[in-house]
Amino acid sequence: MAKALTFPGGIHPAEHKELTENCAIEPGPLPRQLYVLLSQHLGAICKPLVAKRDKVSIGQKIGQSEAFVSAPIHSPVNGTVKDIALVSHPVIGREMAIIIEVDPQDTQIQLPDMSKISPDFDETKYDPDHICTLINNAGVVGMGGAGFPTRVKISPNPQMPLDTIIINACECEPYITCDYRMMLEWTDKIIAGVKLIKRATKCEKVFIAIEDNKPKALELFAKRLKESKNCQDFQLCAVKTKYPQGGEKQLICSVLKKDVPDGGIPPMIGVLVCNVATAAAITDAVVQEKPLTHRVVTVSGGGINKVGNFYCAIGTTAGDLIDFCGGLNDKAVKILMGGPMMGFAIADLSTPLTKTSGAITILTKKEIGNAKYENRQTPCIRCGRCIEACPININPTKIAHAVKNDMLENAKQYNMMSCIECGCCSYVCPANIELTGYIKTGKILEARRKKLMPE
Amino acid sequence: MLENIKVSPGPHISKHISTRTVMIDVIIGLFPAMLAACYFFRFDAVRLIATCVLSCMATELACTLIRKKKSSLDDFSAMITGIILALSLPASLPTWAAIIGSVFCIAISKMVFGGLGANVFNPAMVGRAFMAACFGTLMTIWTVPATIDQSMPKLSPQGIVAKTMLSSEETVQAITTATPLSWVKDSLKKKVPAVDIYNKQLKAMCLGERAGCLGETSTIAIIIGGIYLLIRKTITYHIPLAVIVGAFAFALIGHMISPDTFVNPVVHLAAGGLMLCAFFIATDPVTSPMTHKGMWLFGVGVGMFIMLIRTFGAYPEGVMYAVLLMNSLTPLIDRLFKLVPAGGKNA
Ligand code: SF4
Ligand code: SF4
Repeated sequence: MAKALTFPGGIHPAEHKELTENCAIEPGPLPRQLYVLLSQHLGAICKPLVAKRDKVSIGQKIGQSEAFVSAPIHSPVNGTVKDIALVSHPVIGREMAIIIEVDPQDTQIQLPDMSKISPDFDETKYDPDHICTLINNAGVVGMGGAGFPTRVKISPNPQMPLDTIIINACECEPYITCDYRMMLEWTDKIIAGVKLIKRATKCEKVFIAIEDNKPKALELFAKRLKESKNCQDFQLCAVKTKYPQGGEKQLICSVLKKDVPDGGIPPMIGVLVCNVATAAAITDAVVQEKPLTHRVVTVSGGGINKVGNFYCAIGTTAGDLIDFCGGLNDKAVKILMGGPMMGFAIADLSTPLTKTSGAITILTKKEIGNAKYENRQTPCIRCGRCIEACPININPTKIAHAVKNDMLENAKQYNMMSCIECGCCSYVCPANIELTGYIKTGKILEARRKKLMPE
Repeated sequence: MLENIKVSPGPHISKHISTRTVMIDVIIGLFPAMLAACYFFRFDAVRLIATCVLSCMATELACTLIRKKKSSLDDFSAMITGIILALSLPASLPTWAAIIGSVFCIAISKMVFGGLGANVFNPAMVGRAFMAACFGTLMTIWTVPATIDQSMPKLSPQGIVAKTMLSSEETVQAITTATPLSWVKDSLKKKVPAVDIYNKQLKAMCLGERAGCLGETSTIAIIIGGIYLLIRKTITYHIPLAVIVGAFAFALIGHMISPDTFVNPVVHLAAGGLMLCAFFIATDPVTSPMTHKGMWLFGVGVGMFIMLIRTFGAYPEGVMYAVLLMNSLTPLIDRLFKLVPAGGKNA
């Protein structure tokens, strides 16, 4: 295969994927109560369609919004609505959730049935518009992190015609292996999903980008793509193992050698980036008309007794999953929703999984690093390491300094708004300054100032 | 179970480097040069290095105490300043002068600005400039290394020269005051003809058997330390390379115009504090630009100013003023090279 493709900047954190990369996907726990959040995606928050004490059944739509940029939510189980109340949200603090008491007869989670999808899956049976409708009905969102509603991404937009699809199979975040396991175990389902996206968007070019630390996945995809129908023209690319290779803009830069305009989005240059988990969810949505109610979650890190990849109902709490994995050990000091680079630290074990939570990572002091754990900082020594690591090529220390001194205008001049919050700068900083933290704060302050966000 | 669980903004892991490890790496990198200094100047080297390091650290401690701040000694930056200052002093300098210089370094050129990271000028170089201004003569008495038999000037590099062309009176002077660079200077002033004789000194300079500051003796020891820093990625190659290329190019122009007056550029590279400057002084992160382009400009600037001062200035050596000059331009350089975000306007 050709030389691994890459982008400027970035870092090489210890991957720790060995902990879980050989753990096949297993059914996760089915707790007695699920907390299905009304906001699991970018865009308008859903309104509940059910009321307290209503009976709900598997796959029933329980929340929806009229807005175009939104995605409905569904019940993962049969059960009764116990309440609709505020619960902890991994990202935005607190948010309304539909609390469902699971039917006592339901005791187990079934792994999805793979037999329905064969290598010669024929997507031409499906009408492009129909595919979009089915995806919308199933509430599919980008499962890699941001949670942008997939329907909005793939419905044709005359202003921004799409011509290229990049399937993001990088999984550059340390520890997480859920996408990798899906690639090995659900290969045909993912390929079928890609075919469906291609059909719906009428794109000509399809690239599947896999980091070169996953040779098994690369091999398997090469083989299956050759065997499958209608995908001879899909191109498999090995991209360099580097964080944040799976960032949308970085991946486009690596694969196509093109930059998305600053402050813009990929469709502006005709590109659609879609995560592998999303592709699998699209197949479910279209072929089985099954809504997105479950996902694979990696549980990993040195602070938990049992690691693995689990197929969980959305709405399962972090605590349920941790208990299922034998609980925390006494070295655990941090619980993350997501991976160590972009994940969110949670303090409340009742925080539920959302459509975008790919992992629960429990870190020990050693994994975090002593200096970072103790928050030992020195003044910036102007070494420039943060600039070198920044994939966007902005000056994190100048921005952080401006935000700290309440000079938002100044921070914006240094292109604060272009930051993708990847965390590379904080990772490399010898002075241990929370650069990314300051920049995130700055962006929130700016959003408040523009009244895009409540105080 | 949750009592020791912490929350904080991401990312939640960090590279295992800290300001302290970066500084310790620099100290390790300076070791070969320190060892060479101790070998060539024996007790004087030990005395000066110890004096400078201790008084720099004491001054830093005193300043933090006065300002009622947490002691910043544990980042080891004061120690580096002390070592670099010591390495840029002549071996015969009295201890009291070294103490005054060290106090000035830390108190005036670092702590007054707000401590680590806030100083505009390289503290060691400010201290040295202060000493050059105050104790002019003390700073220009050069002893030849102890490994050269001082009673037999014929054996020293200077002796070779002396025997061939200088009067006996000048020979004595050669032993005590002349560094290879002052010979170069003399040749510029046409005091001494036949420049190529100095080329013969090259070997002696590389190994360290020459007069000069403590750290200016063995070029090879400095390069070994510099390579260590490069391998450890404590410094990037940009500034050292730029300094060397800048100085070489400039010296080459002179040498090509008139090989009789201007020595071979390689001599310039090996002479004086150029290598120490390229690897350890100009690369001080605090006082050099942050972007790679800026580093190139900064390094070439330092290299050029060194050669300008060596060739046309009143001093035989220009490292100190070249570094200080470029330090003062660093904020401008940082402003000059605006970073364009990926996909930004000019891209
Ligand atoms: S968090 Fe922002 S500033 Fe820091 S490296 Fe990533 S993009 Fe650059
Ligand atoms: S990496 Fe840290 S110490 Fe270095 S320039 Fe950036 S903020 Fe300053």
